[in-house]
Amino acid sequence: MAEELIRIKLTVNGREYEVGLEGNERLIDVLRDRLGLKSVKEGCGEGDCGLCLVLADGVPIHSCLMMAFQAEGKEITTVEGLGDEKNLHPIQRAFIDVGAVQCGYCIPAAILAAKHLIDTTKNPSREEIRRSLRSVLCRCGSYLRFEQAILKVVGRT
Amino acid sequence: MSSEEEILKRFAAIEQAREFYIIGKKVSRVDALDAVLGRPMYTGDLVTGDFLFVKAVRSPYAHALIKGIDTSRALKQRGIEAVITHRDIPGENDAGSLIPDRPLLAVDKVRHYGEAVALVAGSRVEDVEEAVRLVDVEYEPLPVVKDPFTAMKPDAPKIQNRDNIVTHFKIRKGNIEEGFSKADIIVENTYKTQFMDGLPLETEVAYAFPEKDGRITCISSMQNPFDVYNKVVKILGVEPEDVRVIQAATGGGFGPKSDETPIDIAAYACLAVKKTGKPAFAVFTREEATTVQCKRHAFTIKHKTGATRDGKLVVWKSELVADTGAYISKGHLVIARATFHCTGPYEVPHVWADGYCVLTNNTMAGSTRGFGAPQAHFAAELQMDTLARKLGMDPVEIRARNILRPGSLTATSQRIDDAGLEICFGKAVETARWHQKRREYEEFNKTSSRIKKGIGIALLYHGNTLGPEGEDFATVHVRIEEDGDVVVQTGLTEYGTGALTSLAIVVAEILGIPAGWVRVERPDTSAVTSPGPTVASRTTVIGGRAAADAATQLRDRLAEVAARLLECSPSELVFKDGVVSVGGDEKRSIGFRELVSEAVKRGVELRVRGYYMAPPTKWDPETGQGAPYNQYTFGALVSEVEVDTETGLVVVKRMTAAYDAGRVINPLGLLAVIEGGSIQGLGHALTEEIIHEEGVVVNPSLHGYIIPTTNEAPEWIEPIAVESPGRIGVFGAKAMGEIPVVLPMASIANAVAHAIGVFIRETPLKPERVLKAIREERER
Repeated sequence: MAEELIRIKLTVNGREYEVGLEGNERLIDVLRDRLGLKSVKEGCGEGDCGLCLVLADGVPIHSCLMMAFQAEGKEITTVEGLGDEKNLHPIQRAFIDVGAVQCGYCIPAAILAAKHLIDTTKNPSREEIRRSLRSVLCRCGSYLRFEQAILKVVGRT
Repeated sequence: MSSEEEILKRFAAIEQAREFYIIGKKVSRVDALDAVLGRPMYTGDLVTGDFLFVKAVRSPYAHALIKGIDTSRALKQRGIEAVITHRDIPGENDAGSLIPDRPLLAVDKVRHYGEAVALVAGSRVEDVEEAVRLVDVEYEPLPVVKDPFTAMKPDAPKIQNRDNIVTHFKIRKGNIEEGFSKADIIVENTYKTQFMDGLPLETEVAYAFPEKDGRITCISSMQNPFDVYNKVVKILGVEPEDVRVIQAATGGGFGPKSDETPIDIAAYACLAVKKTGKPAFAVFTREEATTVQCKRHAFTIKHKTGATRDGKLVVWKSELVADTGAYISKGHLVIARATFHCTGPYEVPHVWADGYCVLTNNTMAGSTRGFGAPQAHFAAELQMDTLARKLGMDPVEIRARNILRPGSLTATSQRIDDAGLEICFGKAVETARWHQKRREYEEFNKTSSRIKKGIGIALLYHGNTLGPEGEDFATVHVRIEEDGDVVVQTGLTEYGTGALTSLAIVVAEILGIPAGWVRVERPDTSAVTSPGPTVASRTTVIGGRAAADAATQLRDRLAEVAARLLECSPSELVFKDGVVSVGGDEKRSIGFRELVSEAVKRGVELRVRGYYMAPPTKWDPETGQGAPYNQYTFGALVSEVEVDTETGLVVVKRMTAAYDAGRVINPLGLLAVIEGGSIQGLGHALTEEIIHEEGVVVNPSLHGYIIPTTNEAPEWIEPIAVESPGRIGVFGAKAMGEIPVVLPMASIANAVAHAIGVFIRETPLKPERVLKAIREERER
């Protein structure tokens, strides 16, 4: 391990952490390797695929493009912070019910993108739903399932 | 309407009159709960403690001699523990999945851009990346063979020490001279399809570590753990029991994870472990994956087709040329499947087809979802619409006159015995309101100058499972735990298709228990026997038969115990709702779990191995005539598009997809596969293209290679499930995993032709190509 250059405080899924960083660590590295939040996936490392999407102060960001020190003071949410087996978040429930899961690799990112939409947009239009999800690639092509899941959560199906 | 209701409605025909207990009912994927909680462990999520990173040194040339490899500078780099070249491979330097033509690490020549020459292992990824640049390889560039037509010339440079033409696959049916003499109209066209990448979003990745006894365990992302295992054992030069391969959760397969690169990545990690004794982790960057992962073959297809004045096909002559890149991989099988299907699902009395699989210096092509069928259907279906236009017929009318019906003979003279195609065709046309829409759009286009609308159709037949491609067998292990939970374990893998959920459903159906009582375990080469490959959409169809065999054996054993307890004959017993009863009589019954515990007390073995082998298929290699497949999946896809004639942009608005699944085991899974495959196929039709320049892949990224996002997904995909039971599949099931990706290119291209009035016979239908076609049409 190289020398720690920076110490930051951040909140992840409601819990406060103080982390010593090497200068070049990305937020995704801290979330996965230091905090063990393995739901955050990496599909390209250059901001194309969106699988590393997390919410920072409620806003979706690519955690492979954010340096960890930029997360100082922020509140980060990953899928681990949404629900658990006994108490699923309505979006998680809807993803199961509409059959959205195929290979599963993009699912955490898609759920967070959907959460952001539902938290910020009352009664979203189909265009708004599509726009909210377009930064998350799903090669299995579950896009219409994601849309159905969101419509279900907002009570439109 | 809730989504459950929506699904029930769409599959109403299947839900009704169902004699099954669970099959065809709505069952969530066995792995869906874990997935939404972010819990599935993919390979990269399992890496812990100290380990070495392994990276490959890759060729910057598409074709070059290797004059020398000097590793000394790399070895001096801080933190580097090993540099491995072909000289350091303890066993055989052969990584070809089926044909031993491909070294794991190049010896004296590189044959494609990005070919691996050496491996570097070290503790910090930055140091390893630097050391990769410090491995000095001296190359002497050779002429690059860029396309298969150059490669087929007698004086072309040889890619390997063999003829560049790998396979010449033939179909000879009837007499084409006679056919052409009877034809009133003949159309002749050339079609071209592009290289594409299946592009699973999780790249190739492997984590290997030494066990205390010196054996090596390798966890990886792949479709075929046994293929990887067998190759790694040979490459390491060790005994079979010295290696164990486990499939972690796998973030997409689509073919590339079934053949070459999963072998490479596992071998990289295992070689580093073997050399250093330390755990090792190897993962492809997106650029590496997109460069070296097996592509969908680029095809050039020439068709000359003759029909009578009333639209009846009489003759079809084809030449198909597939560019398989520098190594064969599965190219010899892909060309066979494409050639078998080259006339589309139509009855043609006289057929002559030559299929060539050809080596070039492009990056390797191999298995990709659909396996030659998308290219074959694209060309055949555009040919049909061209004929229809020349004859002044509606595309639906010409198809109705020629489709494969019960009793029809395919291009290989195989007799079709079910009406799946007729039903799919009829339902798709009706549901899409074909005739009405066709008229509406033509009216619309008369007054709209910029936006043009179109509707197109394509039909499918798809020979099921391996057929000529290998031994079509499967094994599935099932055991019942003492508490009555049922565990399914097999080397067949889950990578997104939902097929293992189907196996759980089959087992639950036969044992008469809720699907939730059945658990599926991870594939592990040390725990199960070889199940045959997880390819060719065969897990539900063939694996399902093995699962059914296992469940039936267990049911028989339990029935014997129950018959004694309930004082009846085993044949009177009904297994349903987790209860075993005499003819459904509640008073004479025992709970399934209680019965299991009684059986355990009596020492009954509740662990079995199920097996199924499909009948071998027969055809004549000289004429292609015979029955290459045991059964066929059928389908029809209607696409509706809007073309912006100023920008050339094509938008797919709606698709109507009717598929004959034989028997729908899991409607929810089928729905996702139909929608998802249609969207993936939409990408093939409109945007996806691996571009080689002098053999160099110039767009190996997700911003250079464009796959569909939510924005490109159609507004709606109407799925229609048809059940025309197949001969061999479990409960009549037919292959569905690959199928929905086959037709979109053809169906969308026909819709675009309807919109703009001109056929575009080369994919993808990217804006510049569409604009060029519109311009040429206007100038004509």
